[in-house]
Amino acid sequence: MKRSTAIKEIAVALTAAAMLAPAAAAFAQDVRIGYAIARTGPWAAGSQVTQEPNYIMWAEQINAAGGLNVGGKKRKIELIGLDDRSNMETVVRSYEKLMTSDKVDLILPPWGTGANFAIMPLAQKHGYPMLSCTATGRKLVAMKNPYFFALLQQPDIMMDALAEYMVARKVKTATVIHVDELFGLEQFTALEASMKAKGIQILEKKSYPLGIKDLSPVLKDMQAKKPDAFIGLTYPPGTFLSTGQSKAIGFNPKIFYLAVGTAFPVYRDKMTPATVEGVMGLGTWNPKSGAAAQAYFDAHVKRWKKEPDRWASAHCWAGLQILQAAVEKVGLDRKKIRDYIANTTHNTVIGEMRFKGSENVSTPGVVSQWQSGEFEVVWPPQRATSVALFPKPNWK
Amino acid sequence: MGFWLELAASGLITGGIYAVVAIGLNLQYGLMRIMNISHGEFLMLGAYLTWLAHTTLQTNPIVFLPVVALALFVLGLVVYRLCFQRIARTAPAVEVIEARSLLVGFGLMFFVQNAVYLAWGADLRGYSFMAEPVDILGARFMANRLLVFGVAVAASLGLLALLRWTMIGKAVRAMMQSPTGAQLVGVDTGILHPVVFGAGLALAGVAGSLLSMVYEISPSMGEPYTITALIVITLGGLGSAIGSLLGGFLLGLVEAFGMHFTNPSLKMVLSYGVLVAVLLARPRGLFAR
Repeated sequence: MKRSTAIKEIAVALTAAAMLAPAAAAFAQDVRIGYAIARTGPWAAGSQVTQEPNYIMWAEQINAAGGLNVGGKKRKIELIGLDDRSNMETVVRSYEKLMTSDKVDLILPPWGTGANFAIMPLAQKHGYPMLSCTATGRKLVAMKNPYFFALLQQPDIMMDALAEYMVARKVKTATVIHVDELFGLEQFTALEASMKAKGIQILEKKSYPLGIKDLSPVLKDMQAKKPDAFIGLTYPPGTFLSTGQSKAIGFNPKIFYLAVGTAFPVYRDKMTPATVEGVMGLGTWNPKSGAAAQAYFDAHVKRWKKEPDRWASAHCWAGLQILQAAVEKVGLDRKKIRDYIANTTHNTVIGEMRFKGSENVSTPGVVSQWQSGEFEVVWPPQRATSVALFPKPNWK
Repeated sequence: MGFWLELAASGLITGGIYAVVAIGLNLQYGLMRIMNISHGEFLMLGAYLTWLAHTTLQTNPIVFLPVVALALFVLGLVVYRLCFQRIARTAPAVEVIEARSLLVGFGLMFFVQNAVYLAWGADLRGYSFMAEPVDILGARFMANRLLVFGVAVAASLGLLALLRWTMIGKAVRAMMQSPTGAQLVGVDTGILHPVVFGAGLALAGVAGSLLSMVYEISPSMGEPYTITALIVITLGGLGSAIGSLLGGFLLGLVEAFGMHFTNPSLKMVLSYGVLVAVLLARPRGLFAR
């Protein structure tokens, strides 16, 4: 009896503390910025490399400098970050709560095309601009949602760049695998169109489910067809798997291209720099892309003791830079922020960025390639940080 | 090696991976009816321990296997004492053990997964080990996959021999048939029960350790493996060591040939198709007695 009373008392005290704590922590003048992101579950591997570390580092940097400049007054940022547990319903419910009951000043986007797609209507309804850095797909842009801005290059832009590179190297044939998710389907549709336009023949294409443990039968079939290029529109597990198994069977076409995860430092570390030498993939930047990129890279490594990925991480940082500039220019009126984002040419870590509708029309399609432990930009020539290794060297 | 033999070999190797994932759960659920739904989480823990030892202390993952096994065995004894002992002792029938342990297993799943998130974060991790192609009769396979295959076969056969031909094996089987009867003939179920549970966890840890050599790891990697393990042991027959080995092989082969003739996207349809077909023909699994 006594024990249960004690437990009850502790419970009451804890509940009271939990209710009081946020109220005490949030000073009236703080700028409250909310988001839900995967800290647990299958999406977390992506979101915790590409996205949330940037949010936290950004808020810390601004707070260390005194705060966000709102109408000439420095105000600290209070981040309200929730774990969406990689669950779509939780994403939507969390943002609804942030926008309607917590009434946060601004939001930051969740991770992934699907989750961003799911909250786009909410953002429009409640008037919250979203600078989405891990959402890509023509379907999203076609919604013409005035509050949605897609920072990543669209699939057709990326696949066109790949096709142009292939034409420049006189590549004629390719085999393709793609993951059975919205991402893979969108990328494949874009790739098919680009290849057709450039007269490159797709000898074989196969799709695969996310949880696959063995791709060697498919890779062997493709090896037998002797394509010039192998293109994997993969998510990280497929990226690692097709690399390891292609190496095992000695499938080494002139171009070996994989999608998501190729730009992750862990890809190089797990597979070893020697193995991934010459592997190409989706990327945008690396520390050599410019002084701003180098500064961002150094700050990230210093704060997190790990490198940012060479694709979407910098897009996320660019989104935060744009948001910061917008607030400093027009204050916290979200309609005005939206208009500012839509109508300004922004100066970001990955260069100038301008939006047409929801689409970032400034950042070109890029092809990157692992060379001596760095994911070098090799196409287009004006963005290149190194010359492409072609044909791909043998697996080591 | 001909194309078909090569295809079959790669199917068998993947089947070996499925089998190795299932062995630990087969002990716990197949033999003891403890529905440890957090099986995959302990597998993940084994993978993380191996990764940690390899990246910080440069330990050879194979040398480290016994350490992982021992650590998870001890952890298994603790988990059993804290979570499952009461269930096993107070449940009036094995069906009740299944139902109650399922709930506890869910709790453990969240607990272990979140503990790993707290400790090492959600990032993908991995290291390269035995990632060299090996030539066998003209076909090339990754050395680390062959190792997993070898351990799967050895562990399954070892378990089979242990259960069939040793006194301990007899005692375990007796305990499952009739706990009271086993006690009457002098089997100390108070010791044997936690030991078998601990051995199940140790095998899960070993499986995780092996998988960390082949695949990248993350705290959420465990759940799909629990499902795989359940399919494999149901296919092979609960409690049958040879059944889960052959069940794993069957799944691997069906997938490899299915992938060649159709599309990898149909993998799930094929695997569940095999499961349904086997259960229709032999409702208690391939090797159930």
